[in-house]
Amino acid sequence: MTNTPSLALNAAAVAHRRRQRHKFIETVFWYAILILVAIITVLPFLWILSTSFKGPTDAVVSIPLQFIPHEPTLNNYLRVWNQLPVGRFFLNSIIVGVATTTLNIGITALAAYPLAKMNFRGRDAIFYLLLATFIIPAQLTYIPSFVLAVNVFKYYDTLFALVFPSLATVFNIFLLRQAFMSVPNDLIDAARMDGASELRIWWQILLPIIRPTLATVAIFTFVNSWNDFLWPSLMLHSRENMTLPVGLVALQGMFASDFRGVAAGVVMTVVPILIFFVTLQRQFVRGLSGAVKG
Amino acid sequence: MSKRFSLTPYLFLAPALIIITVFILYPTAAVVYYSFTDYNIVQPPEWVGLQNYQQLLRDPIFWKAFTNSFLYLIVTPTLIFLSILLAIVVNRPLPGINVFRALYYVPVISGTIAVGIAWRWLFDYNGGLINGILVGIGILPAPVQWLAEPAFTLPIAMLLTIWIGLGYYMMVFLAGLQNIPEDLYDAAVIDGCNPVQKHWYVTLPGLRPQIVFVAVISSLAAIEVFNEIYVITGGLGGILNSGVTMVFYLWRQAFRLQHAGYASAVAMVLLLITLAFSIINIRLLERSEQNT
Repeated sequence: MTNTPSLALNAAAVAHRRRQRHKFIETVFWYAILILVAIITVLPFLWILSTSFKGPTDAVVSIPLQFIPHEPTLNNYLRVWNQLPVGRFFLNSIIVGVATTTLNIGITALAAYPLAKMNFRGRDAIFYLLLATFIIPAQLTYIPSFVLAVNVFKYYDTLFALVFPSLATVFNIFLLRQAFMSVPNDLIDAARMDGASELRIWWQILLPIIRPTLATVAIFTFVNSWNDFLWPSLMLHSRENMTLPVGLVALQGMFASDFRGVAAGVVMTVVPILIFFVTLQRQFVRGLSGAVKG
Repeated sequence: MSKRFSLTPYLFLAPALIIITVFILYPTAAVVYYSFTDYNIVQPPEWVGLQNYQQLLRDPIFWKAFTNSFLYLIVTPTLIFLSILLAIVVNRPLPGINVFRALYYVPVISGTIAVGIAWRWLFDYNGGLINGILVGIGILPAPVQWLAEPAFTLPIAMLLTIWIGLGYYMMVFLAGLQNIPEDLYDAAVIDGCNPVQKHWYVTLPGLRPQIVFVAVISSLAAIEVFNEIYVITGGLGGILNSGVTMVFYLWRQAFRLQHAGYASAVAMVLLLITLAFSIINIRLLERSEQNT
């Protein structure tokens, strides 16, 4: 009877140790999974990166995998840079991305305000009309849009062709409407009492309040524009007008069997967007959590 | 509502409505019309009645594209399953977890074209990493022509879609997981749930809005897949049209073969499918709202 407490203590200690060992094994297990998935997601990129620095003497694939080239070289980058206006591709992608994003946000935020906070005839009809256009696949519109671009707007093979059609996206209108709806009515009413115009209320009161949503919408719009391929590939014909994805496909065609060259091209296009992402990562993650609420 | 009529809301809406009318509503109406015409974009369309649709029914490549687009839907449940698992893993408060989250996101933001070019190479016959590794460690006796084998075209593209989508949907589910109250898990454990049951009874119901969102987004993206097919097959659609999907076929008919009328008929079928999908999705949404 007397040694019961010490036995219990002992048992507790054993249990504790077992739990700790269990915990350790569990942690190792989770890291193993995390690393495995990281290898799957990142390995192809590392391979591309290492290939882009390989000279003709280094094999592209060898066993064991060789990631550090024996004779690292920048020749692949120079070759691509000299044969294709990669700088222009970049500039074009940035121009299109920035123009699309700023104008799109301006236009969709303007449209979202009355839908969220004003009573007027036809509001529900307009809202449901917008909702209905959500169903229409973008690719379906490309044939008539192509005809419009060539015959009516005459912007075939210019960057305008990419910016104009993407100036208003229904998805953005919905997100921004949602954000405006969460702003208290009193705030808007008070401003109206003071005689502020609706435009001023929108610009000076509402937009600053929904800034996090604006940032989310901006990032998504920019990344979508940056990665858009099908429509730009239909519209852009001359080399100097191409955006990065279109240029990259042209490069793949030109450097068909030159792995090292294409790898350099891929690295040049991916790295800037990765840097952009890393600097805005917080916004990105917050934006994602805000986009789908239960 | 009793206020006097004001132009303001209409002025606010005008720019967006003009853009949407010109670039979505008008084109949709035009496609409906083109689908009943013989049209090559250069000459004016010529009315042919139902001819395009009759041809569609007899066109084996269209049916191939139709089937392929539906086969592509396999990515949706796969993505939902894998990204929930991954979200559960990265939801653990382990040191350095943010680095892993960011790494998984790399394919998402790199863009389908850049990532797809890398992906195509992995499967290259001579210089590809997959053949290199599998032959190198002796699993394969000789390199395989992954990209020239019709049976592999669609799976390779689907793996690419999954690889790119995994990080994005993981983030969506992660956000959802963080909204599930910890008490629910504690209660489940007290009720005697093992770790798997815990997720089955707490995580899955808790993630319902996100699951519906991902199901909608990824299934529409799967039905409308183009970029992956384009990069993997180099714009050709694969040997024996093995990789041709509806949007790819639409693109090829309209912009490679100048059969814009016929392509419009393909587009109409695509529209009907997305319409059916949306109705199903709305039903699902309604049901999920009733249950929560």
